[in-house]
Amino acid sequence: MAGQGEGALSASLVAALFVAAALVAVGVFTAVWRRDVTAALGGIPLILGGAGVAFVGVARFAAAGSPHLFGQEFAVLLAIAAVALLALGLGIAGREGAR
Amino acid sequence: MDSLHAIGFYVSSGVLLIGGLGVALLPGRELRGAALAVVGVGLGGLYVSLAAGFAAVVALICYLACGALVAGPRYRSVEVVVGPLWRQVGALGAAGLLVVIIYAAFRGDFVTAKFFGGAFGVSAIGRLLFAHDALATEAVAALVLVSLAGATAVWRVRERAR
Repeated sequence: MAGQGEGALSASLVAALFVAAALVAVGVFTAVWRRDVTAALGGIPLILGGAGVAFVGVARFAAAGSPHLFGQEFAVLLAIAAVALLALGLGIAGREGAR
Repeated sequence: MDSLHAIGFYVSSGVLLIGGLGVALLPGRELRGAALAVVGVGLGGLYVSLAAGFAAVVALICYLACGALVAGPRYRSVEVVVGPLWRQVGALGAAGLLVVIIYAAFRGDFVTAKFFGGAFGVSAIGRLLFAHDALATEAVAALVLVSLAGATAVWRVRERAR
């Protein structure tokens, strides 16, 4: 997080991983704290979003020599997996709730 | 990273975490759906500031869809029978996980580590799946998708017949 120049604001890999860690922890907290299973499902997109931030951050800052697209591909995959898992979970919960 | 991108990074991170806390703590599915949409906006801004524009667009669309799913009329509440003690233990576990991950991020030495796994290394498997045998992997994935969709359709038909 140290500035590049005099008074310049910058972000680093550690900052990106901090955000990713916080997002994963908030997602896990949501999943374990909510009594309603369908509300707990809201934690899944947060956990996968945190993983995506970590991938993109590592690809941006730490993966020297490799194209940034590696992290971006995984972030895209995780975002699509998040919406698919949430839809699947809500669908199953809808069936259970209707019984 | 210049100052403008850094400001975008920190502002988006704040929006993202506020949205995440909203998903965790807000009552009512409409508010939680809106919080998930805020998460999508924050995540998109974060990806843009990290030079991942395509991922930003996809994440924004996917998380807006997640918000619409949670806030939509098909939402059904299913209560789980878990005692408050176990929920508190789980919350403490989430806090412990946060501490461990932040410690790992702060130390940060692992990003310079080199792994020599030989023929079974991660890079070798990735090269095999995504470069050499990409077409076969796609074909198997399409087959699995079609069989899952077929199994779901058969299951629904049988459920309706009951």
